Amino acid sequence: MNRVLLVRYAEIHLKGLNRPFFERLLVDRIKKALEPIRPNVEREQGRVFIYDVPEDSLSVCVDRLCRVFGIHSVSVARCVEKDWNAIHAAALAETASYAASKEKLTFKCFARRADKRFPMTSDQLCRELGHEILETYPNLSVDVHHPELSVTVEIRQTHAFVYSGEVLGAGGMPVGSNGKAMLLISGGIDSPVAGYMIAKRGVQLDAVHFYSYPYTSERARDKVIELTKLVSRYAGMIHLYLVPFTDIQMTIYDKCPSTETTVLMRRLMMKIAERIAKDTGSQALITGESIGQVASQTIESLCVTDDAVSMPVFRPLIGFDKEEIVEKAQKIGTFETSILPYEDCCTVFVPKHPVTKPKVDKLRESEALVDFEPLICKAIEQTERMDVQSV
Amino acid sequence: MIYFDNSATTQTFPEAADRARDAMTCGFYNPSAAYGAAFSVEKQVEEARAFAASLIEARPEEIIYTSGGTESNNMAVYGSLRPMRGMKRIITTETEHPSVFETVNAAAKTFGLEIAYAPLRPDGTVDVDRLPEVLTPETGFVSVMHVNNELGSVNDLGAIARKVRALSPHAVFHSDGVQAFMKLRPGALPVDLYSVSAHKLHAPKGVGFLYASGSVRFAGGQTGGGQERNLRSGTTNVPAILGFDTSLRIYRSNLAEWHARMRRVKERLYRDLIQIPDVILNGPSIEQGAPHILNVSFLGVRGEVLLHALERYGILVSTGSACAAKKQGKNRVLNAIGISGARQDGAIRFSFCPFNTEAEADAAAEAISEQVRVLRRYKRR
Repeated sequence: MNRVLLVRYAEIHLKGLNRPFFERLLVDRIKKALEPIRPNVEREQGRVFIYDVPEDSLSVCVDRLCRVFGIHSVSVARCVEKDWNAIHAAALAETASYAASKEKLTFKCFARRADKRFPMTSDQLCRELGHEILETYPNLSVDVHHPELSVTVEIRQTHAFVYSGEVLGAGGMPVGSNGKAMLLISGGIDSPVAGYMIAKRGVQLDAVHFYSYPYTSERARDKVIELTKLVSRYAGMIHLYLVPFTDIQMTIYDKCPSTETTVLMRRLMMKIAERIAKDTGSQALITGESIGQVASQTIESLCVTDDAVSMPVFRPLIGFDKEEIVEKAQKIGTFETSILPYEDCCTVFVPKHPVTKPKVDKLRESEALVDFEPLICKAIEQTERMDVQSV
Repeated sequence: MIYFDNSATTQTFPEAADRARDAMTCGFYNPSAAYGAAFSVEKQVEEARAFAASLIEARPEEIIYTSGGTESNNMAVYGSLRPMRGMKRIITTETEHPSVFETVNAAAKTFGLEIAYAPLRPDGTVDVDRLPEVLTPETGFVSVMHVNNELGSVNDLGAIARKVRALSPHAVFHSDGVQAFMKLRPGALPVDLYSVSAHKLHAPKGVGFLYASGSVRFAGGQTGGGQERNLRSGTTNVPAILGFDTSLRIYRSNLAEWHARMRRVKERLYRDLIQIPDVILNGPSIEQGAPHILNVSFLGVRGEVLLHALERYGILVSTGSACAAKKQGKNRVLNAIGISGARQDGAIRFSFCPFNTEAEADAAAEAISEQVRVLRRYKRR
């Protein structure tokens, strides 16, 4: 009996005429995610089926599929001929391990007939299968409202599929279906989560990181690469741009009012990120900011940072509490890396009392005290690009 | 490159590396094996053991080879507590290396014992006069480090031992000697157990020993094939032990000169550094501290930032123990002697070996002075 992975779409099924575009993209993403295993991936009537997965790679495949955006859920199914004997044998086999694991167990059968030529109706199938299961495993009983085990049969064009249970996927839309955006990644807890959330909407990611050589360590830099890699498990390959920021920081400290250094730094980071974004085809910027989390994330500060760029800035965490962000970071597996204690460019030089209600006009004035253009150009010139991808 | 982080580890002597290599490629036999070739390896190991023992006026059978300082400390704690009966208390200090501090804390939980911390003087040494405050007849185990790895404070083990023997006659007295062995003039030890690590002495990593006095009740460490008098099983790490032996012999024959050299470099660097404003010495006075450790705070500068700034000049230093560098939070050792805030944030540890020079001290001081000036301009205002 062949094992097959049955993949259900998330939001794609809401799409109309352009649905094939999303489906094709999803299949591409699935193939990429399963590259090391190289199974056969086929699309059929609102489902993706994955054949030829070696038995011992099934759970690895399910794990990997759960990181592909656009997937609602995955089931490991038994693929059999569209023949009652084969179907009921598969259903009994599917139930066997559950029946053996518990003294008493409630169950229910579901049937779905995509191929209406099959001689039995869905109702008949359920009834007959239920009957067979009850006969074979006397410790099972039927509960149609809250069953502990659901045995499902899907009759499709070519084969029938029998499975129990499903693993929830990441949801969202396949990456690449919604353009590209540039994530400002710091090495903290928030930015990887922000990147994840935007990628989930189908946006391809690039990332930009600012570092203060020689005052930040190689470990700090490695940490950012590692975080990017963790995000790329979901988002696919990410171009990471590493921008040297020390000269700009020092100039700000030398020439501009000390309470405004943090906001000015952020404005300049946004400007540089926007330029790299424009040059590399990104249509928006992404940050991990949330209102009021720190002084530079008050509404006033956010307005001042926004004012530095013309591109839209996505802040998917804007209404999240820190606790909610941490929970999310733990769930996507970035938290442990994020909390490694290395100085980053924002903590090397920070004023004790940053202004919390900066005014746009005032900040523009302070910024005009220095001609930052040559420094920005130099930073971009010295920017290093890394192609980051998890294997 | 100027390497001032010799308390983290040292460069292996070429002679020690050669000896280790020979023991891997030529005399590679398992010393526990029955044939003649193995016996000659065993003889070399026993000669090494005898030499190490002679340095502390011990008997060879009192030396138990281990994988290094951390294992020696773990074995000291657990090997003493397991056979202990009727005792209630462990005494240690808040400035111990994590391999003692964490181990003692975990063991106290396992064995249901209370921990009391010995009172400290501001220079990081145990306040011997106040020891009676914590020593009780039910104290079963005392662990006080010989030289502090971050501050260079030197404890007077003899004076502490007298108090321990008088007030806690049943206690086993252990000392972590990882930063002290051969850095101070070695000799007879007033303690029951003493931990040593090889790689702080230009020997390979992965070896050390625990001195366990023959008169102490001690259960040893891992069990198995019965090596090391059945106190620490495991195939003898011959290459590392013989490499260690070579480095010890070299160290021994240069002892007085090398101590003087390290102290000169330390004094020179300190003299240079105090020319910079707002520099404070942490721990013992220059004369009273160990010859190879200097801990200094640069107020208004963050230690980690200065460390990375110096990296660019090829100057390698540390902000504290390398074993604690990856842990978050405040510095436990500095906290314990009341150093906090800007003074703690700006602390840098310099640690020397006999091959550092006064010229290196001058060059380092110049770079530091320059970087401190730059960084202070950007301090939190």
